[in-house]
Amino acid sequence: MALYNFKKIQPVPSASDFLDIVLSKTQRKTPTVIHKQYKIGRIRQFYMRKVKFTQDSFEDKLKAMLEEFPKIDDIHPFYADLMNVLYDKDHYKLALSQINKARSLIEEVAKEYVRLLKFGDSLYRCKQLKRSALGRMATIMKRQKNSLGYLEEVRQHLARLPSIDPNTRTLLICGYPNVGKSSFMNKITRANVDVQPYAFTTKSLFVGHMDYKYLRWQVIDTPGILDRPLEQMNTIEMQSVTALAHLRTCVLYFMDLSGQCGYSVADQIQLYHNIKPLFANKPTFIVINKIDIARSEDLSEEEQVKLREISEKENVQILQLSCQTDEGVIDVKNTACDKLLAARVEVKMKSQKINDVINRIHLSEPQPRDDIPRLPFIPEAAIGRQPYDKTDPKRRKLERDIEEENGGPGVYNVDHQKLYILQNDEWKYDAIPEIMDGKNVADFIDPDIAEKLEALEREEDKLEAEGFYESDEEIMDSEEEEFKRAADEAREKKKLIVQAHRTNKMMKNRPVMPRTATTKSLEEIERKLGEFGIDASAIRTRSQTRSRKRKFDESVGDAIVREESRARSVTPVNIEDRKIAKMKKRSEKIHKTAQRQANLYARAGESDRKILMKKPKHLYSNKSTVGKRDRR
Amino acid sequence: MPQNEYIEESIRRHGRRLDYEERKRKRAAREAHSAATFAKTVHGLRAKLYNKKRHAEKIQMKKTIKQHEEKQATKKDAEAVPEGAVPTYLLDREGQQRAKILSNMIKQKRKEKAGKWTVPLPKVRGITEDEMFKVIKTGKHKTKQWKRMITKPTFVGEGFTRKPPKYERFIRPMALRYKKANVTHPELKATFCLPIISVKKNPQSPLYTSLGVLTKGTVVEVNVSELGLVTTSGKVVWGKYAQITNNPENDGCINAVLLV
Ligand SMILES: Nc1nc2c(ncn2[C@@H]2O[C@H](COP(=O)(O)OP(=O)(O)OP(=O)(O)O)[C@@H](O)[C@H]2O)c(=O)[nH]1
Ligand SMILES: [Mg+2]
Repeated sequence: MALYNFKKIQPVPSASDFLDIVLSKTQRKTPTVIHKQYKIGRIRQFYMRKVKFTQDSFEDKLKAMLEEFPKIDDIHPFYADLMNVLYDKDHYKLALSQINKARSLIEEVAKEYVRLLKFGDSLYRCKQLKRSALGRMATIMKRQKNSLGYLEEVRQHLARLPSIDPNTRTLLICGYPNVGKSSFMNKITRANVDVQPYAFTTKSLFVGHMDYKYLRWQVIDTPGILDRPLEQMNTIEMQSVTALAHLRTCVLYFMDLSGQCGYSVADQIQLYHNIKPLFANKPTFIVINKIDIARSEDLSEEEQVKLREISEKENVQILQLSCQTDEGVIDVKNTACDKLLAARVEVKMKSQKINDVINRIHLSEPQPRDDIPRLPFIPEAAIGRQPYDKTDPKRRKLERDIEEENGGPGVYNVDHQKLYILQNDEWKYDAIPEIMDGKNVADFIDPDIAEKLEALEREEDKLEAEGFYESDEEIMDSEEEEFKRAADEAREKKKLIVQAHRTNKMMKNRPVMPRTATTKSLEEIERKLGEFGIDASAIRTRSQTRSRKRKFDESVGDAIVREESRARSVTPVNIEDRKIAKMKKRSEKIHKTAQRQANLYARAGESDRKILMKKPKHLYSNKSTVGKRDRR
Repeated sequence: MPQNEYIEESIRRHGRRLDYEERKRKRAAREAHSAATFAKTVHGLRAKLYNKKRHAEKIQMKKTIKQHEEKQATKKDAEAVPEGAVPTYLLDREGQQRAKILSNMIKQKRKEKAGKWTVPLPKVRGITEDEMFKVIKTGKHKTKQWKRMITKPTFVGEGFTRKPPKYERFIRPMALRYKKANVTHPELKATFCLPIISVKKNPQSPLYTSLGVLTKGTVVEVNVSELGLVTTSGKVVWGKYAQITNNPENDGCINAVLLV
């Protein structure tokens, strides 16, 4: 609802506080330790970061400030004018523009010094440059002392402005000072504005809220206006004029005919004529206050004529009330509200927007399709029934009445037994035994319970037989089953392959046999390919043809003869075997001794030269030298 | 919803809490003690700042006290009224022997005595070539070392055009070139940002003078036409010498004092 709420603006710190905030933030959030033996690039970067960071935080804070303060050109003209009256538009804009200027100056300084820091050749020089960069930023900020002070004041005042919604239903009370404006305001709202018997008690706008016709209404109390040209009016009066000029409201012009306020009736009428242009296109009323002292009838003839003239010429209604005796207060409020509501509706009807709404409204009135009357249905019993009347002594007795008769709530116990539905009404209040004739009564409440149970079991059996409980998943046709099995197999196979690959990978640093060096038998190949479902018969035939080509029996005949003629040298098998076994043993031994060193250092193999930890901490950390202890 | 001067309004309507005055008085009385505790316990950067602030405050206090004393000193000098017949317009005058004026006069005299032709900074720290120049290695294999980059701020005249970069021995980086100086007029006690015309003399070496290096103690010529100074013969002066008083390479700006 509160469209214009200036309470959220962050406090503006004073110039010195501003500096403290920004510089301590730099100190906290950037690194603080630097040494001259560091690389110059690092030193430069260290100080550049400080300069940049400071500029950034200045930028952040100033920017937030500039964004938060309302821009006079963007806000509702009422607020723009009010701010102009209260804070002087030029001053306000100047202050903001100075802050903006400071922001850009700081940015320039930061840029310049970052550039200079790039040529810093020592820690000292870099540090001095940083110092002067921050110093210059601080000087720029210190010059904004007055702007910041002014803006802080404006902020505090803005936050205390009443949050007036310029577009809602509003009653605006205006008039000479001391005529009882605030008194009326206090009567119809809870605003609690100060009321005193001297002029200019109210020095600024006050807003209050009230309800009428389930709507929320805004009431604005204004400071009194004196009858003088606009240029001579002071800030207090100008606020009223601003509200009158920019808010589309119902204006209640208050008058005091008794002279208690210190201004004559003629003066008040004159003021009305002077500020009349501000009431144009607004529902206006002249409200005569303090009728407990003086009514319009008590006035002199000439003044009465003047008053009547106004009401007739300008079509302004004259209302009368007294805040002292409450006479006419509610009437005034209701009349004013009704008129404003009517005026607002009228304005809306005239505007373009109404078409959009009216197009959507449709009232349907169905045509009778035949002559059959379709009357509402009323049950027979309801027709003759007497309408319930609380005051009638012969009325129906309700459960509540019975309760009252029997000691009221908390004492009376509700009788549920009377609602029992039994064959004989006399049985209603009979006591129900638990055991009768040595038998539990509960067992006999349902005489055919055994039969029912049996029926249930029968049904269950039947369902089971029909296969009702077998889950859907298990019902699969053979094709699907086959498919699933194949998938499982494939998955299993994949897992095995991955495992084999992983074990192979463990042989990281070992010399690897080239694939061409390993021999695989034809059977093995066939088996493997068969596992993958590939036909290996082609390979077999190929190898067969080859081996066949090289067969001796297909070559020239005499070669065989010569072969047979040669004496064969046959080695005894057992000696050979023994030799091989011996050699094997020896080679194994060599292999083992060769591995010993590698195993000791946890090497994967000969070529594993990895150094896992170059200087293990525990061996190098203490100060003991050789010969201090016998262990390391 | 609270609006306008609601705090003051509330105080006016309901008054303050009953011990408000009491608390206020006590707090004021306690203030010296709490300040003392703070001063005793604070340490680190905050202590530095706090002490600086206190120091400045104390100086200010002493100065004001002294000023008051000087003011009073004027009144005492009633005896200086010339004796004998005095014209009427001098009758109600007292002796014009204000201590303040006297001390000012002494200061002025001392200053004049100091001589007209001395410069404000008669001595400067020597700067080695190492510090002044950075060797730039050139050539395909970065073996040639005849190029130099000047690491101090320089002034480069308006019409300067570079030699072909390949043959340029001294490089004066753009970032370190300056055109303006903050010049203080010692008598006006005012500072102006004036354009530099030329480097008159760098006390370190004639080479630096010709390169236009700006270091502490360098005498530069500045354009003072903005100040509207007039010579005894009535001509407008536009070029005047000024000596640099700060280390421009450390401060990022040039401060100079006008030689008058
Ligand atoms: N007898 C009588 N006195 C009234 C009535 N209404 C207000 N007053 C008195 O008139 C005096 C001024 O009332 P305010 O409500 O402060 O008048 P105001 O128009 O708000 O005055 P400013 O805020 O100074 O412009 C007070 O002393 C009220 O008690 C009324 O109906 N009858
Ligand atoms: Mg008032």
